[in-house]
Amino acid sequence: MTEILLSLREVSMHFGGLKALDKVSFDLCNGEILGLIGPNGAGKTTCFNTVSGVYRPTSGEIRFGGIRTDGLPPHRMAALGIGRTFQIVRPFPNLSVLDNVIVAMGLPCYRGIIPSCGSWKRQTTRDGAMGLLSKVGLVSLASQKAGLLPLGNLRRLELARALALNPRLLLLDESFSGLRHEEIAMQEELVRKTRESGISILLIEHNMRVAMGLSDRLVVLDHGLKLAEGSPEEIRKNPEVIQAYLGKGGNSNAA
Amino acid sequence: MQLFLEQMLNGLAIGAIYALITLGLALVYGILRILHVAHAAIYTVGAYAGLAIFSSTHSLALAVIGSMLFCAFLGVLIERFVYYPLLKFPPYVPLIGSIACLLAIEELCRMVAGPYILSFPAELPFPSFTIGGIVISSTLSAVYGISAGVLLLLWIITTKTELGLAMRATSQDMAIASSMGINSHWIISVTFMIGSAVAAIAGILVGIYYNQVYPTMGAVPAYKTLALIVVGGLGSVPGAVLAAVLLGVAETLLIGYAGIPLPRDALAFIAMIAVLLWRPQGLLGGRR
Repeated sequence: MTEILLSLREVSMHFGGLKALDKVSFDLCNGEILGLIGPNGAGKTTCFNTVSGVYRPTSGEIRFGGIRTDGLPPHRMAALGIGRTFQIVRPFPNLSVLDNVIVAMGLPCYRGIIPSCGSWKRQTTRDGAMGLLSKVGLVSLASQKAGLLPLGNLRRLELARALALNPRLLLLDESFSGLRHEEIAMQEELVRKTRESGISILLIEHNMRVAMGLSDRLVVLDHGLKLAEGSPEEIRKNPEVIQAYLGKGGNSNAA
Repeated sequence: MQLFLEQMLNGLAIGAIYALITLGLALVYGILRILHVAHAAIYTVGAYAGLAIFSSTHSLALAVIGSMLFCAFLGVLIERFVYYPLLKFPPYVPLIGSIACLLAIEELCRMVAGPYILSFPAELPFPSFTIGGIVISSTLSAVYGISAGVLLLLWIITTKTELGLAMRATSQDMAIASSMGINSHWIISVTFMIGSAVAAIAGILVGIYYNQVYPTMGAVPAYKTLALIVVGGLGSVPGAVLAAVLLGVAETLLIGYAGIPLPRDALAFIAMIAVLLWRPQGLLGGRR
């Protein structure tokens, strides 16, 4: 747990006058589950988007596995080993569940100039994709169009799709929101298993019970600033965090 | 009866050529949601490039390959320098850019090759048949063979290969496709290359079929193919191909039999309006 996989140094992301991220720094160690929490509009998803290459940070430095990655495009980040899910689930609606996963398994093919390995490699790819689907419990729906699946299944499909990239780091953007109780338990189990298989995880979560339960450490963002960092116990007791969540109402501190 | 069959065969050939031109447009619309009007200009350039290479080398194979390469390059140029920078604007902005490209390229052809109709005196190396008294000329069989081959190849590429899967993924959600390791800008470029290369084939076929190559030969296809992708169901490649073939046959039969004193293109558009009144979402278009 000592080797650093992902590090952000003074990363800022400005949109016009809005400082969505303001000099945020934190590290994620190999094999760790790091939770990113904070009130709405705190900059959590923006943080994900700078890490996964959707945005080029206004300033600051991001390193992944020792390589400087800020400003690289998303497909390069995926190739380096960052898989992600999305806050609002976005499967490829007209592709089958199976093809949704296979798309993400094409990495070695997409690297070539003409990105086509042809169809002859499909069987091993197919088996691999089916393996992932069985991990998340979607084998029976493999040939369905992904657009027809209910939310709980889609959240698990997104997880399978991100895992198909064979990532070293998994970014989970509110993978638990909108799920029923049993589904949350199932998803938690999946995340734990994923970590046990050696994949580090950075997760955004609104459900405090889930975030506290899963994460080894937490980073709290508020209005683009890093407010606190520490173990779930420390964060739970931190007065600033409580204030950010509950507001400054009254003169008595909730600590 | 024999006249009817001959008309059918001609109509099918015209439809097949329409299909080849429309294909590129449907592919581009599917991936970028842009009406690629300048595609018709690429088709014109394809005919000219093919003719130029054919006149200097007398090799039809070289002409086809050279013209396909040149058009693929031209298509990517338009994508990189006109459409991609304009993608962040509302769709009419790239459309205006596209119309500008169409006109500019047409004028360029006129300046380089002159405003005259040039002839394309090539023999297509395909056999001619006689079945039951009906002659299928070598030109006709070439049109059938080549378009069937191209359509089959494209169907295999889009449905059976990783490239096709990447193309479908990119057309459904470009941002997600990128997160899954697909270099979506490259996939867009590849789509333009394929569409433009097919347009080059269509340009050469038309040049030989009518023995005519002229600067504004893309004008009618420009708006006809637009209507065709709407009739086929926007973004649906099979729909566009089906609409193109049907239109070719309908045009030819209406002219041969109905005896309506209207020009061919007017009939084509009347037929399309009728289809759209009956199925506003297009022949094979689903909800989007």
